[in-house]
Amino acid sequence: MNTWRYIENNDVTASAGLAADEVLANRAGTGISQPTLRLYTYQPCALVGRFQTIENELNLDYCVKNKIPVNRRPTGGGAIIMGENQLGVALAIPGKSDETYASVRERMAQFSQGIISGLATLGINVEFRRKNDLEVNGKKIAGLGLHKTATGGLLFHASLLVDLDVAYMLNVLQTPFEKISDKEISSVAERTTTIQRENLNPITLNKVRRTVLNGYKTAFGVNMELSDFSHEEMDEIRQLEKDKYMDSGWIFQSTDVTDAVGKSIIKTDGGLLDIHIVLAGRMIKSAYIGGDFFTSEHAIADLEQSLRWHSSQDKSLTETLTQVYERWSGDLANLPMESLIKGLMSAIQKAEIMARKHSSDPYGCFVTPGSAHA
Amino acid sequence: MKKQFDFKPDRFYNSNHLWSKQEDDGRITIGMDELGLDSLGEMAYLSLPAVGSPVEMGKVMGSMEAAKMTGELFAPISGIVVEKNDAVLQNPLLVNEDPFDKGWLIKIEPANWADESAAMVSGDALPDWMKSEIERFETQGIAG
Repeated sequence: MNTWRYIENNDVTASAGLAADEVLANRAGTGISQPTLRLYTYQPCALVGRFQTIENELNLDYCVKNKIPVNRRPTGGGAIIMGENQLGVALAIPGKSDETYASVRERMAQFSQGIISGLATLGINVEFRRKNDLEVNGKKIAGLGLHKTATGGLLFHASLLVDLDVAYMLNVLQTPFEKISDKEISSVAERTTTIQRENLNPITLNKVRRTVLNGYKTAFGVNMELSDFSHEEMDEIRQLEKDKYMDSGWIFQSTDVTDAVGKSIIKTDGGLLDIHIVLAGRMIKSAYIGGDFFTSEHAIADLEQSLRWHSSQDKSLTETLTQVYERWSGDLANLPMESLIKGLMSAIQKAEIMARKHSSDPYGCFVTPGSAHA
Repeated sequence: MKKQFDFKPDRFYNSNHLWSKQEDDGRITIGMDELGLDSLGEMAYLSLPAVGSPVEMGKVMGSMEAAKMTGELFAPISGIVVEKNDAVLQNPLLVNEDPFDKGWLIKIEPANWADESAAMVSGDALPDWMKSEIERFETQGIAG
């Protein structure tokens, strides 16, 4: 049986936590360090995905005012909050090897098996949802990401919601809401879940951590050896933290294609439909679907998830939405697909107009500093 | 049933599954091949080097976010970037939809094409290499 290294940390800063994960994956890629599972918590912070525009994803004024550090992950996916109630999972392994995990194409699914297997022992039935979520009964409980380092190492990231203060999260993240009232909080709470909510009894983060650790042992058939960073690793971590994760060029980096926001409100037979999308070129980066029509939050969450990183082309949207409507035909009865497409296309057109305006006026109302990082 | 992967015989391939093709004007067009793309999934975001910037074979020239992972793009040859494909920046899915034509990434004025292209796979060596790469992909999961 193979042995992987296991590292536990608590209360790490955003910059140190991210630097440590990248160093572990870099070294795993070159074979200097063993495959390592790290289960840890951060000091309160907000992290955006590799190519997100930080100003569009986080409420930076609120973060500054409340001294909440912000940073950028090397992995993809959306903006998240991390803190004492969110368990960080980092798995650093070589990208090429003869291990059993190497033959799996859907690696994100495979690497999350440790979490799935562990939480199953608590009676929580977690499912992988492409592209990068873990869900319990259609509600998100963890976000996932995978990064291949320049050395060929793989870094798998997960943020597992042991508990979540939805109101706090909505203040930290940029949201399409005009104001954050009980209605908005309850709507978001309906689309996510936590281990505290799913477990029959109150559970500590440490108990969840042990459960996930055992899950990885079972899922990958490996021993775990409790360890810590070596002196050499610590030196590399400090250096990478200084050079990259404490560098505003990385954190606030601009992207080749600027995000553009588009909104539309249309009247349908079932009620008002409120759509908010973020567009990057011809890709929908995120979508929010709200309004006063009656439907299930699960179905709306599925629609929004299906639209993430989706082409904005009409035909392609119709194909995808048709599949979602087949899954939720009863629940979406009050939201006709034709109305949704009409609303989406209107929001997309507005975002496209905004993008054209930005590209013809690059010195507009906000600044996106350039980056020295690839 | 095993998936079929298309390789165009008129270009050079490297182990990162980037293809290089010399155009009539001597410039080299760079793109990603189908096998490499299959291990990454649908492209969500691409960052490419600016026109006029130098790139060096084996060094990072850009980065990408795909459905299955994020990662760096390594230059298959050295030279100066003379053009980048704005269409794939605006619509990264184009790389998956048409990797050998409309989904090209950049064009490079090569610094040392004769030597560097010799280090890539082309011509008669392609069929065997393709076969071994597909086998490698089947057992290791990630091309490149």
